[in-house]
Amino acid sequence: MDLGGDKNQESVFETRETGLIQKLSWLKGEAQAPLWLDHCGSEILQHDGKCCAQAKSWFLGWARSMDSASLVESGVRAPVWLSQRFEWGPSRWPIAWCELIEQKVIDCGVFAALARETFLDQGVAAFPAQVVLRYGERCTQHWNAYWKLDSSTNEESHELFPWIGTRHVYHEICVVEASPGEARFYDSTWGNWYLPQPQSGFGSILAIRSFAPHALNWGNYRVRSGEWLVVS
Amino acid sequence: MQKTIFVSGMHSGQNPCSGLGILRSLREAYTIEQFKLVGVDHWQGSSGLHHAVCDDHWLLPSWNQIQDDLHAQRIQERLESGDYWISALDLEVRWLGENVGTHPRLLAPSREAVEQTAKPEVRAFRHIGYQIPEVISAEAPETEIHAFLREHSWRCWIKSPFHDAARVTNWAAFLSLRAGVSKQWKTRKLFVQRHIAGTEETLTFSADQGELIEAVKLEKRQLTWEGKTWAGRVTQLQGEERERLAECLKEVGWTGGGELEVLRTPDQKTYIIECNPRFPAWIYGATLAGFNLPALLIEKVSGQQASGLIRHARAQQFTRVVMEIPAHPAIGIPLPAEPNSFQWSSEGKVGKGSAPALALPQLRGQTDREEEQSSNNIDSLENRKSPPLWSDAEASEVNRLVRSYQGPTPERLILRENTRSRFFTLAARVREANQSQSVPQVRIGYSIKTCPTRFHVQTAREAGFYAECISQLEIQTALQAGYHSSQVILNGPGKFWPTTEPPRTGLALVFFDSLEEFDRCQSIPHLSERAGFRLRIPGLSSRFGVPIEEPSQFYGLVQRIELLRAQGDFGIHFHMPSWAIGLRRWTQAFGSLLGWGQRLESLTDLPLTRLDLGGGLFPHDLDRIHFQEIQRRVHAALPRVQELIFEPGRALTQNGEVVLSRVLDVRRSAEGVHEALVDACIAELPLAPAGGRPVYIYRVRRERIERFDAGAAAWSKGQALEEGNGRILGRICMEDDILAAHVKLPDDLEVGDAVVFGHAGGYQRSMSYGFGRG
Repeated sequence: MDLGGDKNQESVFETRETGLIQKLSWLKGEAQAPLWLDHCGSEILQHDGKCCAQAKSWFLGWARSMDSASLVESGVRAPVWLSQRFEWGPSRWPIAWCELIEQKVIDCGVFAALARETFLDQGVAAFPAQVVLRYGERCTQHWNAYWKLDSSTNEESHELFPWIGTRHVYHEICVVEASPGEARFYDSTWGNWYLPQPQSGFGSILAIRSFAPHALNWGNYRVRSGEWLVVS
Repeated sequence: MQKTIFVSGMHSGQNPCSGLGILRSLREAYTIEQFKLVGVDHWQGSSGLHHAVCDDHWLLPSWNQIQDDLHAQRIQERLESGDYWISALDLEVRWLGENVGTHPRLLAPSREAVEQTAKPEVRAFRHIGYQIPEVISAEAPETEIHAFLREHSWRCWIKSPFHDAARVTNWAAFLSLRAGVSKQWKTRKLFVQRHIAGTEETLTFSADQGELIEAVKLEKRQLTWEGKTWAGRVTQLQGEERERLAECLKEVGWTGGGELEVLRTPDQKTYIIECNPRFPAWIYGATLAGFNLPALLIEKVSGQQASGLIRHARAQQFTRVVMEIPAHPAIGIPLPAEPNSFQWSSEGKVGKGSAPALALPQLRGQTDREEEQSSNNIDSLENRKSPPLWSDAEASEVNRLVRSYQGPTPERLILRENTRSRFFTLAARVREANQSQSVPQVRIGYSIKTCPTRFHVQTAREAGFYAECISQLEIQTALQAGYHSSQVILNGPGKFWPTTEPPRTGLALVFFDSLEEFDRCQSIPHLSERAGFRLRIPGLSSRFGVPIEEPSQFYGLVQRIELLRAQGDFGIHFHMPSWAIGLRRWTQAFGSLLGWGQRLESLTDLPLTRLDLGGGLFPHDLDRIHFQEIQRRVHAALPRVQELIFEPGRALTQNGEVVLSRVLDVRRSAEGVHEALVDACIAELPLAPAGGRPVYIYRVRRERIERFDAGAAAWSKGQALEEGNGRILGRICMEDDILAAHVKLPDDLEVGDAVVFGHAGGYQRSMSYGFGRG
């Protein structure tokens, strides 16, 4: 099997969820893991009418204004201001442009999609990306309770994606090809660039997947399109 | 035989010295049998002295009580007896170089090497391949400093060659910080440096006589509010960067620890910020990562094999904690401070007692000479020059006006020739731009409020400018000066004031300041040929224009523009004073405006044909505006824009007047004249105390009260007073009636001498008022 990249890298592309979970022994206890690994990146709906055209137009205008106030004068300017307007929390999917911009609280899928649109508007190639992150049970219990509370208080019934495991979570980010062939992963929910060096502990990356249309380098890793890459 | 390592600079507070980290690193590598570790400091509150890692301590008197010769002799004796001395204090490193000189066991860079670490150039490391952020000397003419700050959108730092940095965000802050930092560090070698947004990194190294022993890189992950490292990741410095560092160290013969602070931008440009001639306070973090730099230094110079695991990484990443330890009974802690000496408040702590920094100012006195003598080569690094304050033609006209003036003072004098020249030069530039690019055509809007005299308004009309009005009274002024309604643009939040008369109709353009105003005006027939909206761009602080910060506001705007379908097009208007936000941000905001324009066109399916730009340019900045470039950008983004109205605001009139005044009182101190009272005041120069821009002073020497035509040859043209400790005070009983500060007043200044305040046009005129005249 072609593992791609260097010896630190373990790329999984032949198998779908079962095979990958076997490789990621930590995920064995996570009942929802197959869903995470098979999940496509979130996309924002655009209604045919004027509502979504206006909403998206406003967002991109506002994004450019925020960008113009940036201290960074060169290179990729990350939309750190997204987290100043929106708080992280449950979103109801599917979600359309005209709905999301009225929200105060959005989930990581919306954060990632908005960051992607912003990068694209800057002329920077950006694509969906996903990660499985490590957290302790003390965190996941609270997030479970938060999402359940939202679900129980929301009059409209809607299905929530089960992103929260026991010790791991599914999370959406975006991948930016800032220079040809080079990947940078941006987590717009928290406003951080991920580092390709091995990390451990709270919020560290177990596996990552890019939906860039071609393979990209990320530190010593080679990230293939649509394939989960085990990074630690 | 056991030797001793002395380490000075032991305070471990929120702005810590590195002494404790050095001693902890050394103890990891050497037993007490090998080396006795002694902490040294000059202040009882130096907390690291209490730490168990100190086998002993030297608690010395404050630096101002230290006798240089005796202290140097004691250190020399210890060095001669085989002991080692490592300093963790920048200033002490310099003192050692001056008073002790070099010694194989004095593990600090030489005076010559330290001298080459002066900011901003940091010559010792000029070959390392890092860039230096743009700088200007803080002693440059104030117009040049002001232009530099505007250029960089007031995102700058003021720094001294070796110590301290403070953020400059406005002119008043600059003046205050320049005086404060200069006094604090007893130096006039300050400079202003543009801010660079980037990730902070630090290179730390140890070297012996120019030979690099080891070097690491720290990525700072957490910082305190003071910018001190709290957590980070340490890796070995490798590759070309390491080789270049080694070359630099070799060239200056560096001995001891050192730290280079750098910023890495998102596009991987690296800028050098400063060099500290000692180990950093987080040095024990490097030891945890397997790079025990202090021990490697001792191993190299002593030949004593370190017995501990000095290259064993326990953690590549580190963080700090705050912990309490028992105070050493032989040291004790400082007595409680007298409440009167408590600061009312300080950042980070409230009601704190004597500050840890007290130890440092005492040392400053010892190094004054070096600080003052340091050569930081700012002149060679300055990247830009502004034109002279005053052209020869302007100086000549001022001279002529002053010579011919007879009458009371203060008096405002209009430089008519120069005003006309400025208006018509701008008109010519616009004609040239329009010849080279046919779409959009540029046309200047003259803002009546910047100078509503008949002379100015008529000159604007002759130059082919629109009259830009913000009230019905201003429209009347324009019409009385010969304008036709169809040459008037109406703007502003209260444009229909006074409401006792019906609004003037048939105007060229009206820009609405709110959706509500637009709705009300639908009932006014033939108000203008065209209409548009002033936009309040998100991210810029402004009270003007239609807000579009929220989607609902934007939808409302789209809906109103659609109501202009009968007109067939629409306009948008954006004003923001570039003197306040700087040219860089103004240009960025302009880009954002074009984006909003594109979206409004697309959603309404109406062409955006009129774009009105401007607001509060500085005269010098107007000269730098490249109309063709603006036309090109507008046309590329919004090809249906036919007319680009550019309103330079005060830039046309600010330089066109002076206020002539006389000296009423001269106050002297031992240093010379420190205050002059003049018969002008903030009623004539209302913007002077706000510090929104520098006030330039010109002097006619020795001319008497009766007439200004005597001794005219002595008119000193075009030079602002140099920076100094003097002030020029206004005549009225208001605390803020200070017309100029930080200026050097001539020793021979006399009552009755004339002082001319330049750049007194624009809002200095139109906002002036009568006060204290009975």
